[in-house]
Amino acid sequence: MTPLLAINGLKKRFGEHTLLDIGEFTINPASAYVLAGPNGAGKTTLLRILSGLEPAEIANAAFLGQSVSFSPYSRILRNEIVYVHQHPIMFSTTVAENIAYGLHARGISKAELDASVEESMEWAGVTHLRDRGTNTLSGGEKQRIAIARARILKPRLLLLDEPTSNLDGNAKEQVIELIPTLVREGRSVLIASHDADLIELPDLEKMALDKGRIECC
Amino acid sequence: MDFSASIREAFLLLFTGDVELWRIIWVSLKTSIVSLAIATPLAMVGGYLMASYQFPGRKILIWLAQVSLSFPTVLIGLLLYLLMTRQGPLGAFHLLFSQSGIIAGQVLIGLPVLVAFTLASVQAADPRLAETAVTLGASRFRLMMTVLHEVRFGVMAAVINGFGRILSEVGCAMMVGGNIAGETRTITTAIALETSKGEFAQGIALGILLIVVALFINAALMMLQGEASTSGVAS
Repeated sequence: MTPLLAINGLKKRFGEHTLLDIGEFTINPASAYVLAGPNGAGKTTLLRILSGLEPAEIANAAFLGQSVSFSPYSRILRNEIVYVHQHPIMFSTTVAENIAYGLHARGISKAELDASVEESMEWAGVTHLRDRGTNTLSGGEKQRIAIARARILKPRLLLLDEPTSNLDGNAKEQVIELIPTLVREGRSVLIASHDADLIELPDLEKMALDKGRIECC
Repeated sequence: MDFSASIREAFLLLFTGDVELWRIIWVSLKTSIVSLAIATPLAMVGGYLMASYQFPGRKILIWLAQVSLSFPTVLIGLLLYLLMTRQGPLGAFHLLFSQSGIIAGQVLIGLPVLVAFTLASVQAADPRLAETAVTLGASRFRLMMTVLHEVRFGVMAAVINGFGRILSEVGCAMMVGGNIAGETRTITTAIALETSKGEFAQGIALGILLIVVALFINAALMMLQGEASTSGVAS
C-alpha cells in the first residue's frame, strides 16, 4: 500500500537546539494516529511543519508517492492537508459562513456549497447554531465547527492539535466521536494530544514523541 | 464685533442659505471624500503588506509612515507647490491652484495616518487568524481581505482619523489650492481668510459647519463599522 504521507529525515532546529529529529515517519490512508508526548516535546511543531506553517529541514517527503514541499501555498497542502489549532480561531461571522470559508476558494456552485455546508453542520451536530455569531460559542462547539470547517474541504489528512484540551464531559465526547467517522470516510487523522481519554481510544495508532524522536509507530 | 454678535451672525449665515458658504462646504467635502477614497485602499494594502510580509525596505517604509505623521501639512504643501509649479516636474499636469492639487496633497496627508493605524491593527491581530485562512486554502488576496475584515474596527479607526486629518488640514490646501473663491476655497482656508479680514462671523459659521460635517461623517463611518461587524467574511 502506498503511504499517504512518507517523510524521511525531518529536522527542526531552534538555534543550537534540535527540537525534532525524525528519521522516518509514515501516515497510511484512512488511518488515525495519536501523537503523544509531554508539553514541549514538539507535537504542535510537527503538525505545523506538516501543514506548511513552520519551516523545517526535510530530506524526503512524498504524498501518495508524489514529492511534496511543505510550504503554505503548495498545491498538495492546500488540497489535501488541513490543520486545526488547539484553540481554533473563528472568523467573526456566523457558524455557517465559518464552515463555508474554505469552499469559496474552490470555485463550486452556490447550490453545491449550501448543500455541503448543510451536510457538514449536521455531521458536526451544529445545525442549530447555523446563524449564531461565533463569539458566543463554547470551546467544544468551536472545536467541532473547526473540524467541520476542515473536513468540508475533503482533505485526505487532518491534523488536529490537542482537540480535547480544556474540554470535559459531554463536550469532549462529542469531539472524540467525530474522529472514527473521519476515518470511515477514508480520511487520515493525526492528533497531537496528551489527553488519556483520547490516547486510550482503541482505533488509534499510538506514537510517542520524546526528545525530538518518534519512539513507536 | 463682539463674540456674541459674531455667533448670532454666524447662525444667520448658516440658516439663510448663503451661496458662497455652501460652495465652500461643497469643495471641502468633495476634495476630502475623494482624497479619502483614493488614500484608503492604498493604505489598507500598504499597511497590510508592511505588517504581514518581510521585504527589502519594509522598515524604512514603516519609519517613513510614522515620521510623516508629525509632518506639518504646510511642509507637504510647500513640497507639492515646488513639484506642481510650472517649472516643476509635475508642472505639465496643471495641478497647482486646482481641486486636483488639493486632493493630491490631502492623499499625502491622509496616507500616513491610514497606513499607521492599519499596520498596527494587522500587527495586533491573532496570528492564528492568518494561519487558519491559509490552511483552509485562502489565496493571498483572500487572506488579506479576511485579515482586514477581522481587524475592521482598527481599519475604521484609521479611516475616521485619516478623514479628520484631511478635513481639518489648512496649510497644504492653502498653498496648493490657492484659496480661490468657488474653486479651491475649503472650509479651513476660508476660516483663515475670513479671520485675517476680521470677518469673525463668517469664520465662526464655517467653524461650526466644520464641526457638524465632521460629526456627521464620523457618525456615518461608525454606523458602517457597526454594519461591518455583522456582515460575512465568507459571503
